[in-house]
Amino acid sequence: MSESIIPESELEEVELYHPKSWWTEKVFSQDAKLIAIQYGLTAFAIGFVALVLSWFMRIQIAFPEMAIISEGTYYQFITMHGMIMVVYLLTALFLGAFGNYLIPLMVGARDMVFPYLNMVSYWTYLVAVLVLFVSFFTPGGPTGAGWTLYPPQAILGGTPGQETGIVLMLVSLCIFIVGFTMGGLNYVITVLQARTRGMTLMRMPLTVWGIFTATVLALFAFPALFVSAVMMLFDKLLMTSFFMPALVEFGENLSYGGGSPILFQHLFWFFGHPEVYIVALPAFGIVSDLISIHARKNIFGFRMMVWAIVGIGALSFIVWAHHMYVSGMNPYFGFFFATTTLIIAVPTALKVYNWILTLWKGNIHLTIPMLFCLGFIVTFLNGGLTGLFLGNVIVDVPLSDTYFVVAHFHMVMGIAPVLVILGAIYHWYPLITGKMLHDGMGRFHFWITFVGSYLIYFPMHYLGFIGVPRRYYEMGQTEALYTSSAADLNVFITIAALAVGFAQLVFIYNVFWSAKNGKVAEKNPWKSTSLEWQTPEQPPIHGNFGKELPVVYRWAYDYSVPGAEDDFIPQDVPNEKVKLAEGYKELGVEKT
Amino acid sequence: MSIFSILSQKPWTSDQAKIDDKHSGKSSSMPLPRVALYVSMIVMGVLFTLFSVAYIGRMAYGDWRVLPEPPLLWFNSLVILMSSFAFHKATLSLKENNNRRTREYLFLAGALTLGFITGQLFVWRELVSFGYFVSTNPSYAFFYLLTALHILHLLGGLIAWLFVVYKSFTAEDESSNFRLSVNLCAIYWHFLLIVWLILFTMLLLT
Repeated sequence: MSESIIPESELEEVELYHPKSWWTEKVFSQDAKLIAIQYGLTAFAIGFVALVLSWFMRIQIAFPEMAIISEGTYYQFITMHGMIMVVYLLTALFLGAFGNYLIPLMVGARDMVFPYLNMVSYWTYLVAVLVLFVSFFTPGGPTGAGWTLYPPQAILGGTPGQETGIVLMLVSLCIFIVGFTMGGLNYVITVLQARTRGMTLMRMPLTVWGIFTATVLALFAFPALFVSAVMMLFDKLLMTSFFMPALVEFGENLSYGGGSPILFQHLFWFFGHPEVYIVALPAFGIVSDLISIHARKNIFGFRMMVWAIVGIGALSFIVWAHHMYVSGMNPYFGFFFATTTLIIAVPTALKVYNWILTLWKGNIHLTIPMLFCLGFIVTFLNGGLTGLFLGNVIVDVPLSDTYFVVAHFHMVMGIAPVLVILGAIYHWYPLITGKMLHDGMGRFHFWITFVGSYLIYFPMHYLGFIGVPRRYYEMGQTEALYTSSAADLNVFITIAALAVGFAQLVFIYNVFWSAKNGKVAEKNPWKSTSLEWQTPEQPPIHGNFGKELPVVYRWAYDYSVPGAEDDFIPQDVPNEKVKLAEGYKELGVEKT
Repeated sequence: MSIFSILSQKPWTSDQAKIDDKHSGKSSSMPLPRVALYVSMIVMGVLFTLFSVAYIGRMAYGDWRVLPEPPLLWFNSLVILMSSFAFHKATLSLKENNNRRTREYLFLAGALTLGFITGQLFVWRELVSFGYFVSTNPSYAFFYLLTALHILHLLGGLIAWLFVVYKSFTAEDESSNFRLSVNLCAIYWHFLLIVWLILFTMLLLT
């Protein structure tokens, strides 16, 4: 392969923005890598608040006699925990943090295509987080409407936080969506238009495929949340009746009339279900890459993995009403959505098979990222299988308001993606900081988190089966309906939850301790092929790739290629520069 | 290249590698601002579509009241049509390298847009004076909401328009950047014209 076939760069080298002061370099930075870290730290900070809320809720459920929080506060904590975890932590982390850090580096670009817009995106996100957080300190406190914010109860008297909390929540969501859209435009256009020479779409690592497809989904799905938030704000502040039916409150006729609460549910879940995949698809992509790297084997069925990501993305828009089986919908409607829900299990199962087949006969290194990936596969499988139960109308109806649902969605969209995020942090931490995370603390963190999560959520399936309702702040007189094991299990679950929470404190300590005292990471410590590890400096500096952008000669999965001396060939190494193993004359050809 | 042929590539084979090695890295030869505008228009299209779906869904309920159609709306529609046409003429004059004429059309388009926005505000005043408040009936609420959203998008466009007018005084005749800006503004205005025509048709159909 001669140098002459390298295509001329069509991308004119744009002058990078060079910060002129400390403020524009370290705070109002336009460098995607710093913006990623800002996104990550903000998301973790607000996520930690949500984690602490869950401890209060668990203590309340296990020891109701302590009355650690009131019933109103319990609803407020449920609501804030759910919304923060789903939108402000998971979405912001996968797209804002991982998207910003990895997209330019993995596709071989110097930065995002619109760095200024990218910076504004982060600061808008921060404003959204602050507006939400402020609601804790307003009269009446944050909204307690449940994270789905269903009208009419969300804005009526009697619901905690209906004074200002609900308004701040809706305003915060609108701000978040505006900020995300700015970031989303960047991610999509950078992937489409700013890849380096030789980097075809099918040569991109699956991480980028996952983040890219999730961003496209988000650009289509978030407007639905925006529409419903704006309309509910109108209902709350201007007394319109988009979602509010005629109501009598305390014997008094309210001025509302004729609105449709079900319309809100349709709009909300048209966003809400793709949101599951906005979180899951980047996780799928990252896990595929991590498994391939740490098992030293190319990903099994690469094309099918891409097809599955795209297919799941498309299907995710026609399953939303499976969240509404108990809303009294037409049974034929339910039949349609049950069918599409079961169909989406096909490409999802295909991905699970491919991860397992990648591991099959691989040179598996039980590194911490790999442990988290293995943990993810089983957790996602468990959570996914209970999804098949709940996807069927007749099974869903009796289970809908029980702990079975809590167990299902925490396994599939709580624990599973969080395991990927943690694995990904252990994997890319050396790139971001130049140091390795402490191995002992990491393994402790993994085992407590993984086993602890199972101790929390496995028993919840049982609680659901025996009919323990979710959303109750204490079982109260209903306790007589269940076996005493239900109350004992609640205590057990709470202890497990506190242990898992403690392990996260160890992780946070590890992140800060290792940044200062950690072992210096060798260059490309995991021997990965993708471009982010091939930068001249580690951590990469502003502009990412030195004087010349890299040229890509291969896909991202050339691990253990027969004939090569090393068990990986980076994407920017041409065939003639690959060191051959002894006795080989050509790559991929049998020993002569 | 279609999405299907891209997805059927086998990037690990040496035959495909020979093709891929020559790839420039871009998926389209369009300049970045044009891609950004198209992607943004798709997102805006989704937003307006969802509002429209909610509107049509809500119409089906029994308490829906027919919205009065102030004749001013017809006049406003003509004004926004003319502003879009003025942008079109601006792009044509640009092709003839007539910068002065381009600038005149740009001013005309901006003035007409401001005229449209003012006209819409007069429609609101008229409706309020008849007692059709935002909380009176969902049909009025939708009317205020959709027109406000459309006006906000036009105001966003006017910020871009200000930049383009500024550039028309400073840019060189042959500046491709200026040409692109005028073209993109024109596309955005045509888009908002189409959005308005669809919204107006929907309002008339109630």
